[in-house]
Amino acid sequence: MSLFKDASLPAITAGFVAVLVSYSGPLAIFFQAAQSAEISTAMMTSWVWAISMGAAVSGILLSLWLKVPVVTAWSAPGTALLVTLFPDLALAEAVGAYLTAAAVILVIGVSGSFDRIIQTIPPGIASAMMAGILFQFGVGVFVSLEAVPSLAIGMILAYLIFKRLTPRYCLVLLLLVGVALAVWLEGASLQGVSIKLAEPQFIRPEWSWNATLSLAIPLVLVSLTGQFLPGMTIMRTSGYNTPARPIVTLTSLVSLVTAFFGGITTVIAAITAAICTGKEAHPDSEKRYVAGVANGVFYLIGGTFAGTIVLLFTSLPSEFVAILAGLALLGAITSNLSAFVQHRDHLEASVITFIATASGMSFLGLGSAFWGVVIGALAYGILHRPVRAKIRHDEGEATRKLP
Amino acid sequence: MKHLEKGVGLASAPRDFLRDLNADNLSAGLVAGIFGLSAGIIHISAGTAAGLPQEFTLLWVISYLMINGLFGLLLPAYYRLPLPMANSIPGALLFAAIIPVVGLNEALGATLMAGAIALVVGLAGWMSLVMRLIPMPIVMGMVAGVLLKFGTNMVMPLQNALLPASVMILSYFFAARYLRRVPPLVVTLLVGVGYMALSGADFSTVEFSFRLPEFIMPAFTLEAFLAYGLPLALILVGMETPAGVGLVKGMGYKEAPANAITALGGFGTMISAFFNLHSTCIAAPMTGICSGPEAGSHDKRWVAAVIVGIIFIVAAPFYGFVFSLIEAMPSYFIAIIAGLALLRVIGSAMHITFSGKHEVGAMFSFLIAVSGVHIFGIGSSFWALVMGAGLSMLVEFKDFEFSVEMPKRRKADPAAR
Repeated sequence: MSLFKDASLPAITAGFVAVLVSYSGPLAIFFQAAQSAEISTAMMTSWVWAISMGAAVSGILLSLWLKVPVVTAWSAPGTALLVTLFPDLALAEAVGAYLTAAAVILVIGVSGSFDRIIQTIPPGIASAMMAGILFQFGVGVFVSLEAVPSLAIGMILAYLIFKRLTPRYCLVLLLLVGVALAVWLEGASLQGVSIKLAEPQFIRPEWSWNATLSLAIPLVLVSLTGQFLPGMTIMRTSGYNTPARPIVTLTSLVSLVTAFFGGITTVIAAITAAICTGKEAHPDSEKRYVAGVANGVFYLIGGTFAGTIVLLFTSLPSEFVAILAGLALLGAITSNLSAFVQHRDHLEASVITFIATASGMSFLGLGSAFWGVVIGALAYGILHRPVRAKIRHDEGEATRKLP
Repeated sequence: MKHLEKGVGLASAPRDFLRDLNADNLSAGLVAGIFGLSAGIIHISAGTAAGLPQEFTLLWVISYLMINGLFGLLLPAYYRLPLPMANSIPGALLFAAIIPVVGLNEALGATLMAGAIALVVGLAGWMSLVMRLIPMPIVMGMVAGVLLKFGTNMVMPLQNALLPASVMILSYFFAARYLRRVPPLVVTLLVGVGYMALSGADFSTVEFSFRLPEFIMPAFTLEAFLAYGLPLALILVGMETPAGVGLVKGMGYKEAPANAITALGGFGTMISAFFNLHSTCIAAPMTGICSGPEAGSHDKRWVAAVIVGIIFIVAAPFYGFVFSLIEAMPSYFIAIIAGLALLRVIGSAMHITFSGKHEVGAMFSFLIAVSGVHIFGIGSSFWALVMGAGLSMLVEFKDFEFSVEMPKRRKADPAAR
């Protein structure tokens, strides 16, 4: 079998690191969502099992099939969205929304209209909404300064130092230092952590307008713009001209299954993809697909022992999870903020999208991500042309002044 | 005095004021003025929270408008730049909190010393060093973080006052698109007032009153200086001036007189100490409104700042009346007007924050300012600057412009040899 012939230590290591980074940073956001949903440890374990299995199956199949390193994961901005919606949103409704979102993405994948849809969303609005959703996590780091000042400062400094020295291992090292600091400064105890196999729990989905509008639609939007778009871009800049259709289709099919066990939409990875698609994974780009397979295998192992991962996170103070999640998202927040302020031609519409999304407002039971897009699209529709007309008007004034 | 920047002068100011007055800067001045008047609510709530008598709080606000208005009239008129003056809001919160601890006269003594420190810094010309220690993206990160709250306060009323809030916000967008001659904010103001009148707002609680600022003698204690005077001096020099100067520079006024603003603010703060007031300084949100694109053509925006000064001075003695008027309007009215006025300012502040150098420092500054944390009794905007600049020095020292003089010296060296 060619897989064993092509296998190499750097590729397997890359796959392992990608999984470790996902479990260090983005998983912390999922835990915050679980905490705000006030669910049991067993249910939390099922969630982690579901997202790990989704990433494992889709990643292994796609990497073997396409012979390119396809790294998949769960929708990180989607989990960020969850934090603001729980506990008002019922678990069954959330699962219903996962299914709706997966079905919508499946249609987009099968019809091959991914690229066209991405182009119709004004880039500033998309980035502004992403920034608005992720923003609260960044602020959360500094809100924790009041409650646990030494833990927060220690982790911030550790983050900055590791980011400077080894950007790739930054989150992994941050997790280790953070756990050590939490035990030392806050008296957290890791005694309850033990090896535990996961038992998936079935959730009967329920469909509702509320969940569709405030979770499913924003989830589709952030998954397309925040995961599939940067993920495909990373693949292409690494020299893989892989079509989007099979990836979008297969991940959404997998999502349709994992949703029943609390797994949020499976997508192509954005934060960790570059680890497996770059030169570090293997000098020969033809053999880097092994990194994608290895990534899937380690997710398989992680999912099997999801119980242990959950025990580790639940025995640490909630502020620790908040700080870790915030720091893990800092890069994404910065790049989305920088991205939307660059689009000066529709800056006002983007700013109001960001403001409305970040405000955390809710109206008619719908969350701020939905209203952010509505208000932003409205502002874009009304202001979009006059922005250009206004510039012409100002120029006219300037030239009139000249004589 | 050699470090104080030269301005155009006051002699021709009244004539130029009438010449440069137009619909745009008049409406921006009005909005900033109303914004400044409504800021008195912050004093009132801070005073109430600290258990200060109503009587004193009213005197405090009247002094704020009268003294800050006077300085706010002179500074923009002399420099022909949109530099409205007001008092420091973080300073106000500190002041209200410290009075029950050290006593009013002692707090005012500390105010006097803080003003003297700012005056010395301005006269000695140290502002350029302070500004280099705290670079623009970090300052603007803090400004954007502080102003963001006005933005979110604007969309919040959509939750429970959907009809008036969306009518006001939409009127702004439509006016910006279809009515190019009329400033969109004026349209929004008129639409808002029209809605209030039609929906039958209750103006029966509005009552008339007249008072002037009263003289008081400051007293000096070390405790008051350490707990309040020193932080206030840091706020004035390290935060208020950089924020204001950063804003006007960001709006394209490269010649902003940082030293003169600090020195005049320091002097104004010393005067303030004798009239129950805690500070005089450049006011960031109002500066944003007066110097932004809403205030019309670039060289005439100074008029907006002068109008703010006039509004303050005229309104000061009647503040009791103004306060009851603001009380009669629903709270979201001011929130929406202020948010719309600052929308473009927030946008350009974020643009400066996130497009280039000091990426880490700017991001931290922005996030800390938004978080609203209080550490050692000092608010988040101060820590945004201190931690933003500190962390930036730690991880991106190369972005600082300390080395500005070095290339010059290097160039000079071969010639010397």
